[in-house]
Amino acid sequence: MTTETNIELAKINRAARVNNAKRLGKFLALRIVMLFLTIVVGIYITILIANMGGYVDTIMRNEIRERVNQQVAAMTASEPMSTEGRSDLVEQMIDIEETRLGLDTPFVLRSFRFLGNALTLNLGRAVHMVSDHGSRAVRNIILERLPATLLLTGVSQLFLFFSTVFLALMLSRHYGSFWDKLIITLSPTSSAPPWFYGIFLILLFAAVLKILPFSGMVSAPPPKETGAYILDVLKHLILPASSLILSSFFISIYNWRTFFLIYSSEDYVDMAKAKGLPSRDIERRYILRPTLPTIITNFALIIIGLFTGATITETVFLWPGLGRTIFRAISLYDTPVIVGTTIIYAYLLAFTVFFLDFIYAIVDPRVKVGGGNS
Amino acid sequence: MKRKFLFLLSMVLVLSMVLGACGTPAPVEPTEPPVVDTEEPVEEPVEEPVEEPTEEPVEEPTEEPVVRTERKGGWLDEIVYTVADPAAVLTQIQAGDVDIYAEGLAPSFAQEVRDSGLGFSTSQGTYYGVLFNPATCDDGTFNPWGNRKIREAFNWLTDRNYFAQEIFSGGGKVKFFPIITEWPDYADLADTVRSLESYYAFDLEKAREVITEEMEGMGAELVDGAWTYEGEPVEITFIIRDDAARTAMGDWTADRLEEIGFTTIDRQYKSGSEASAIWIGGDPKLCEWDLYTAGWGASVIDRDQGNIFQEMYLPTSQQGIDVWLENDPDPEFQELGDRLYNADYTTVEERKEMMARALELALQDSFHMWWIDSSEFTPYVNDIVAVADLAAGVQGAQVAPYTLRYDGVEGGSVKWAQQDLFAEPYNPVAGTNWTFDQAVIRATNSQDTLYDPYTGLVHPLRLESAEITMQEGLPVGQTLDWVTLDFASEIVVPDDAWVDWDPVNQVFLTAEEAGVSGLTAKRKSVAVYPADLFETVRWHDGTAISIADMMMTWILTWDRAYEDSLMYDPAAVPVFTVFESAFKGIKITSTDPLTIEYYSDSYSQDAELNAVGLWPWWNSGELSFSAAAIANSAEMSGELAYSAAKAVAAEIEQTSFIGGPSLEILLTHLDQLIADQTIPYEATLGQYITAEEAVARYEALKAWYEEKGHFWVGTGAYYLDQVFLTEKSAVVRQNADYVDLADRWDMFATPMIATAEIDGPGQVQLGQPATFEVFITFEDDAYPANEIKIVKYLLYNAAGELVVIGEAELVEDGYYVIELTEDDITELGAGASKLEIAVVPIPVSQPTFTSVEFVIVQ
Repeated sequence: MTTETNIELAKINRAARVNNAKRLGKFLALRIVMLFLTIVVGIYITILIANMGGYVDTIMRNEIRERVNQQVAAMTASEPMSTEGRSDLVEQMIDIEETRLGLDTPFVLRSFRFLGNALTLNLGRAVHMVSDHGSRAVRNIILERLPATLLLTGVSQLFLFFSTVFLALMLSRHYGSFWDKLIITLSPTSSAPPWFYGIFLILLFAAVLKILPFSGMVSAPPPKETGAYILDVLKHLILPASSLILSSFFISIYNWRTFFLIYSSEDYVDMAKAKGLPSRDIERRYILRPTLPTIITNFALIIIGLFTGATITETVFLWPGLGRTIFRAISLYDTPVIVGTTIIYAYLLAFTVFFLDFIYAIVDPRVKVGGGNS
Repeated sequence: MKRKFLFLLSMVLVLSMVLGACGTPAPVEPTEPPVVDTEEPVEEPVEEPVEEPTEEPVEEPTEEPVVRTERKGGWLDEIVYTVADPAAVLTQIQAGDVDIYAEGLAPSFAQEVRDSGLGFSTSQGTYYGVLFNPATCDDGTFNPWGNRKIREAFNWLTDRNYFAQEIFSGGGKVKFFPIITEWPDYADLADTVRSLESYYAFDLEKAREVITEEMEGMGAELVDGAWTYEGEPVEITFIIRDDAARTAMGDWTADRLEEIGFTTIDRQYKSGSEASAIWIGGDPKLCEWDLYTAGWGASVIDRDQGNIFQEMYLPTSQQGIDVWLENDPDPEFQELGDRLYNADYTTVEERKEMMARALELALQDSFHMWWIDSSEFTPYVNDIVAVADLAAGVQGAQVAPYTLRYDGVEGGSVKWAQQDLFAEPYNPVAGTNWTFDQAVIRATNSQDTLYDPYTGLVHPLRLESAEITMQEGLPVGQTLDWVTLDFASEIVVPDDAWVDWDPVNQVFLTAEEAGVSGLTAKRKSVAVYPADLFETVRWHDGTAISIADMMMTWILTWDRAYEDSLMYDPAAVPVFTVFESAFKGIKITSTDPLTIEYYSDSYSQDAELNAVGLWPWWNSGELSFSAAAIANSAEMSGELAYSAAKAVAAEIEQTSFIGGPSLEILLTHLDQLIADQTIPYEATLGQYITAEEAVARYEALKAWYEEKGHFWVGTGAYYLDQVFLTEKSAVVRQNADYVDLADRWDMFATPMIATAEIDGPGQVQLGQPATFEVFITFEDDAYPANEIKIVKYLLYNAAGELVVIGEAELVEDGYYVIELTEDDITELGAGASKLEIAVVPIPVSQPTFTSVEFVIVQ
């Protein structure tokens, strides 16, 4: 090969790399813009829904009037104030409350303020809610509930994920066996929601057997020693985590097992079997490898799903998690808290989707980032 | 074989799920309470009196010749507050997981509570009724509800007994009037209310008759059993709240309306916020609704419900809701309601007559037509003694922490469950006022007086005595002997009494300095504290209470309302405006014993409720000098604020003495105050505390914080030992340094509700006299005559009409006779008659009714 040819090749390679880099850059930019726009639209829709398009203002104004009326009636019951004086007082107090809640600003303006704050992660202050520690900062409201939620959903969902994938893979190798049939038989039990199992478990283990607590994250009062505290939390974790696991365990195995079975019946797997490759190699290289993008996607979504909590299960077990906080925020029309939790989830989801593209390319050679052919 | 086994297994699973789904009332809806107040408008916690001034003062049964205990503070060693789900709490109590659910369970739990075998207390719950839209519709739509006669007829249309027994399972009392059936006004007006209740008893045919006559009079026609107007069917929009009780009552009422011809009813089942947008926020003239299932609440026994007629019926109501303005009441009712609201009467007898007439007119008006006074149930393990306030239950009873105990046992730990905890920051000035948080606060705090859980009167807690002087002609009476009451033709405010505050120079201004010499007031209260107050009463941090504590609270009352002050808070202005509208002056006449003279134009009709001290107590707790000093310092520097409104406006945190970001800020200011030896408001407080004393107070608070991790100090029977904010639990422990013995309020352990029996002839000859005997007991002992206000009797004829009202004659304690004259019997006429008695005791506001039937023969 001549020097000129080498130079030519180097030029071609460089040009290809530049082209690839350009294509990748374009892809990344487009992807980021699209994801950002998706977040903007999603968050604004959330704001509109949470405020019923501004109708919540009317609801809140009525509630304020009801409340203030009663407060003034109480305050002035034995005071020598005229009816007009009382009415003026009512209006004065309503003004203060409406200002406090931001109702003195039109909803449209507030909605864009909510959006701007959310996108810049300026979570601001809650309208109605306070954190357990007495703070109105949305950041504090979310952060203080996050550990409890991550503990509950983390333990249950990660256990669920790894155990079911592992068992499904095993079952896919023993298709038609007794255990396979047993799992299929039990899979309809997942039609019951977690709280349904929660109530059963509470009745059985708390009310009848009295070996596990009814609810809460820790005993009241909590143990003072760290070790005892951890053990106490784990004891309280058993029932809610079990209810979350039980409600999805069999159907999850069934789903994965079916998924693996589809890949197990591909021609190249039959070919590998015909060539006499060991079953472990077949499992690892021919079944698991092509399913990795799906598994990873699933896992990533589970991880970000942990941040949303498990509202009803947390409520049944009085677990002080983020799910209950979000539910309260919705019922109280506390837009900053709703938007705060939504924007965190939205950013997590966007990052996950963004990085999954790269991870797909790494684990699956058929996938090229940006759609190029190098 | 395996296939059969698997089939069998799957069948068992499916069956168990189906059975489980059928048998368990699954809490699909999360039960966590919203932070907003109840969806019902909560009627005001008013503390006004209606007691007869003619009664002799009753000695308080506090004298005990035998020393029953030497224990001070609470009976229990500790109370552990925690949260529980009401749906599961009965099982939790039965399983020993918690000891009491103090929140109070809804009437729907009535049967379950009774069947549980647990102890329980009852208290006033929500009260329900129908609210009509009487507006004339803008589009000319026919609206029958502007017709008072039709609304009045709704009373005959409604079977309240059915509601009480079937829908509330006995967890409610029938309600005809806006006044509460277990409160003093109802008892005082027992004869009037029974008479009206008899007149307005369920009678569907009578309702049909009246409504038909009125509808036809308005031009409507009954065509094929359906009401029409100008050829169009009369359509009714009935907004029914979607809770179980109101849905059942609303549906029952709608069914009856259909029976009498209102066949086109749009039943709209709505949540509180959905409904309020229509009945509160909507324009009534648009006629978007006709009827609404209203619900109201009350949390404190109101001894004077004279204001209720204006509030619930009249366009002059300060409710400010448009539909009130559309009611066109009878002019007599309007005048009477306004006069009662403004206490425009001079004697108790005059007021009573006005109230009786107003009740009658309220039923004729029926803008609000009432259904039920519901009850709430507080369940607990059987060996607990838990005193419930008739209005506020156990959770809201001020006396609860003083009386809660294991029966006959000193010490022990009670696990007290409720719906929630720590809903808002804990600071006494403008912090949490949620009932569940107040339960913790009450256990750790003390006040000047203590509310009687059964009458709404007050007993001296930290005060010792009071002298009340009222302007002549005001209808004020006295019941208990710790106050004296007299009247004066004129009450002049002394020139050296404080009447105003100078926020710049931080001093109070006397009447003379303020240029208002010669002020007069309607009320003068001279409150006296015990001579050893400053030696015996200590804050939980070990320091003795001082006048500086009291003056700090008094200063803040003013300073927060003045714009020139760094403590200015717009949210404090409305409350201050109300206070200032009646306030005339205050004077500390002695510091040994501490004696406070207070002058005001506002008053209650019970002398006891007119006593005013200077205790450093706010709606959300006690405030010590040192805690106030650090919180004030933080607020003046713009780092924290007492009120949520100010905190939100300034985008800072609201002050919390028990946790969160506040603690670090407060600690910084505490250190600064110690370093600077600061006396806040020195121009005034410098007269009551030295720099060394102030520093000693700060250091004691700091030591407390270092030990307990919070700044919450009170003078109550328990102190706050541990707080677990996210875990939602708190531990309060017995305050062994508390000033009072644990048994001081044992007299409230059981409400003295009278039991009454009537004995007499089953048959009476027409025109002949008859004698009936009445036996009144409490726990099988004769009810002391001096604790019975009145025993009234009511005679009904065979048609159920009230014919005679009289008063039973006292023979001896617990024994009364009713002598029916020949004229009485003649007036009743032949046939089955009924004699009913109403016993009105003084220690409880709940009257006892009982009746006996007899036959009058020719």
